[in-house]
Amino acid sequence: MGKKHRFYEKGKKRRRDDLPPDEDEDLELDGVPKASTENVEEDGDQKTSKDQYGAFDYRPHIKLKDDHSSRPLWIAANGHIFLESFSPVYKHAKDFLITIAEPVCRPEHIHEYKLTAYSLYAAAQMAGSTEDPANAQKPESEQANGENKDKDKDAVPEDITSFYDKVEEEEEEEGNMKTLSFEVNQDKIETLQKTCIVLDYPLLAEYDFKNDTINEDIKIDLKPSAVLRPYQEKSLRKMFGNGRARSGIIVLPCGAGKSLVGVTACCTVNKKALVLCNSGVSVEQWKQQFKMWSTATDDMICRFTSDAKDKPFNAGILVTTYAMISHNQKRAYEAEQTMNWLKEQEWGIMVLDEVHTIPAKMFRRVLTIVQAHCKLGLTATLVREDDKIADLNFLIGPKLYEANWLELQKEGFIAKVQCAEVWCPMTPEFYREYLMGKVSDQKIKLLCAMNPNKFRTCEFLIKYHENRSDKIIVFIDEVFALIHYAKTMQKPYICGKTGQKERMTIIQNFKLNPKVNTIFFSRVADTSFDIPEANVLIEISSQGGSRRQEAQRLGRILRAKKGAIAENFNAFFYALLSQDTREMGYSRKRQSFLINQGYAYQVITPAQMVGMDEEQLHYSTKEEKVHLLEQILAASEADMYEEGVFGERGGAGSQRKAGNIGSLSGADDSIYGEKRKGFKEGSSALLIQEIQLTLTNTDQPGTCVTAGWHASQVMFAGDSADPE
Amino acid sequence: MVNVMKGILIKCDPVMKQFLLHLDETMKLGSKFVLVDLDECHLFVQPEVYNSLKNLIDEQYEKVYYNQKSSLE
Repeated sequence: MGKKHRFYEKGKKRRRDDLPPDEDEDLELDGVPKASTENVEEDGDQKTSKDQYGAFDYRPHIKLKDDHSSRPLWIAANGHIFLESFSPVYKHAKDFLITIAEPVCRPEHIHEYKLTAYSLYAAAQMAGSTEDPANAQKPESEQANGENKDKDKDAVPEDITSFYDKVEEEEEEEGNMKTLSFEVNQDKIETLQKTCIVLDYPLLAEYDFKNDTINEDIKIDLKPSAVLRPYQEKSLRKMFGNGRARSGIIVLPCGAGKSLVGVTACCTVNKKALVLCNSGVSVEQWKQQFKMWSTATDDMICRFTSDAKDKPFNAGILVTTYAMISHNQKRAYEAEQTMNWLKEQEWGIMVLDEVHTIPAKMFRRVLTIVQAHCKLGLTATLVREDDKIADLNFLIGPKLYEANWLELQKEGFIAKVQCAEVWCPMTPEFYREYLMGKVSDQKIKLLCAMNPNKFRTCEFLIKYHENRSDKIIVFIDEVFALIHYAKTMQKPYICGKTGQKERMTIIQNFKLNPKVNTIFFSRVADTSFDIPEANVLIEISSQGGSRRQEAQRLGRILRAKKGAIAENFNAFFYALLSQDTREMGYSRKRQSFLINQGYAYQVITPAQMVGMDEEQLHYSTKEEKVHLLEQILAASEADMYEEGVFGERGGAGSQRKAGNIGSLSGADDSIYGEKRKGFKEGSSALLIQEIQLTLTNTDQPGTCVTAGWHASQVMFAGDSADPE
Repeated sequence: MVNVMKGILIKCDPVMKQFLLHLDETMKLGSKFVLVDLDECHLFVQPEVYNSLKNLIDEQYEKVYYNQKSSLE
């Protein structure tokens, strides 16, 4: 990437000269920002002196202007831009910045943005002009000035207006242009896009759906009851800004109504729509969303999953999973038919749910199979530990919109979440094993997850919140621990091997049955599990330092709660950490994304858990704790492997090799979901056996397994064993 | 006969005690240093290891809280 990278840096430098310098504080009078002559981020960093905490001292580089109080921007030498969110012109400056730069960190008062090659590329695309991102933003910023002058009597300095004139002149210089049109080979589009970016002429992908008479309209519309929230409207305006549909990615927090944005986009384009998502469950959810918000009827929406195959032939909307499309083994006849149909179609719009999870390779496969005029990616967390995000720029398009989590929270569109990390001390026996390091990595994880103090804390929190009639979801990555926790506390659980129907039954019960207030989840529920009722989340164990997992999990409880007052905290997120283990270090990394969104974590130490000693909890005696430890150590290696295979595709494998983060964080779990189909009934039967086996094997007299649990287990298992 | 031994009393939480015992067992300081294991929170150790113990504890803290890689290995 070396060469290309340098090229971007150059491009960046050139463009930064062109930025409209409204509200810049470090401008020289002749109009060239001093910072823009220093192009590389590291360069800037080296020249600036650091204090002992690593903070940069910009005082020698940036002189405060006399009227600095009315200018909300700081531009640092390394391409970072700081925005004061309390400034009167904040709103306008924010709109401008979000277009040209990537938000790095947005806490309450000062927001940090960063200029990158991609953000400028996205800005150029957004602007509808490939020349200069600054031009396009001009009207908005100008308006900002205008308003501001009225309010604050020339609060905005003169030189800003003079700059606009300059910029305008430049714009006029390139007048007479010829328009040429080409038809490009479908396979080469990606190469073409890449080349054009290198040439500094990024391409725009737009679909003129209004004038498309070849493809029939599917005649769906939004129901009058569907009301778009301001930020949803804004994101869609960016997409349909000039009457055509742009391809790109919209970033909204989980629970902020991404589906409605998707449905509205489909209704606006009003051509054949293809919705791709992660799992069978979210396919069902998308179908419901379409029925809820649009006039689409059952026969217009076709599901195409391993469990549900509707006849597609007169459907306008097809909902399916990534894995289903990219599956390259032999299919059933029916599925083959649908695939052929799918390939022949010319799709108007393709909606890609949870777009961050798909590996580029799989996505390319999808693109070779399906032809769509316009692609809309939806996600909450545009971060990956493996920097594959950049690829999405070529494959889908630029980021069209990114919402500010804290602002949505303030306006009550998403729940106000209190985040807390609870420090649970290890018990001496567990810590001893941990330190010895004689056991496998898998068991080390189990030791941290099943720390009796953690168990007790978790049980206490569940009891506490159940008494408040909250709905609680608990996440545990290790299936062995998951089953143990769930069985000991007699709660239902969902993991990778839980069948589709069983999942639905459990979730339905959780939604409607007042007696089922807690579910235990493995990693499968990290994304696109819509559980709007849940308002308490307890995280027992997690996947190393994955920022995305943390954010996605938080997303499970972000949906705005009915009747809640926006000022009060109405959702709770507890991350349980075993003290003095590596979990503590991971948690810093995991939290960084949410902290950058402006969330604050509160630390709760065991001493602060009032009333814990009075509750009747498991593992209160030393014997019980030692016994638990024995169970963990006795769990044979064979058990471990099985967990990996059953729990999550790639689970066991990627846990051993730290390199493969994509699959660690569940990026390719959906492949697994589809393969299960072949031996479905067999595996359900196996599941019952397994559970009973584990019941008899690992549950020695100390742990209680009641008849009630057996009954519910059998009911669920029996459900999924039904021939489908 | 009465044996007199000079040493220091360490008071810590049970988890830290496990860490110290672990250091003792694996001979991280070259030799054993724990004289008497008194109870959950108390250890009686040789006086000369005081400084090196302090360093090791800091190291462990650093490992657990900041530097993930080394704690994985």
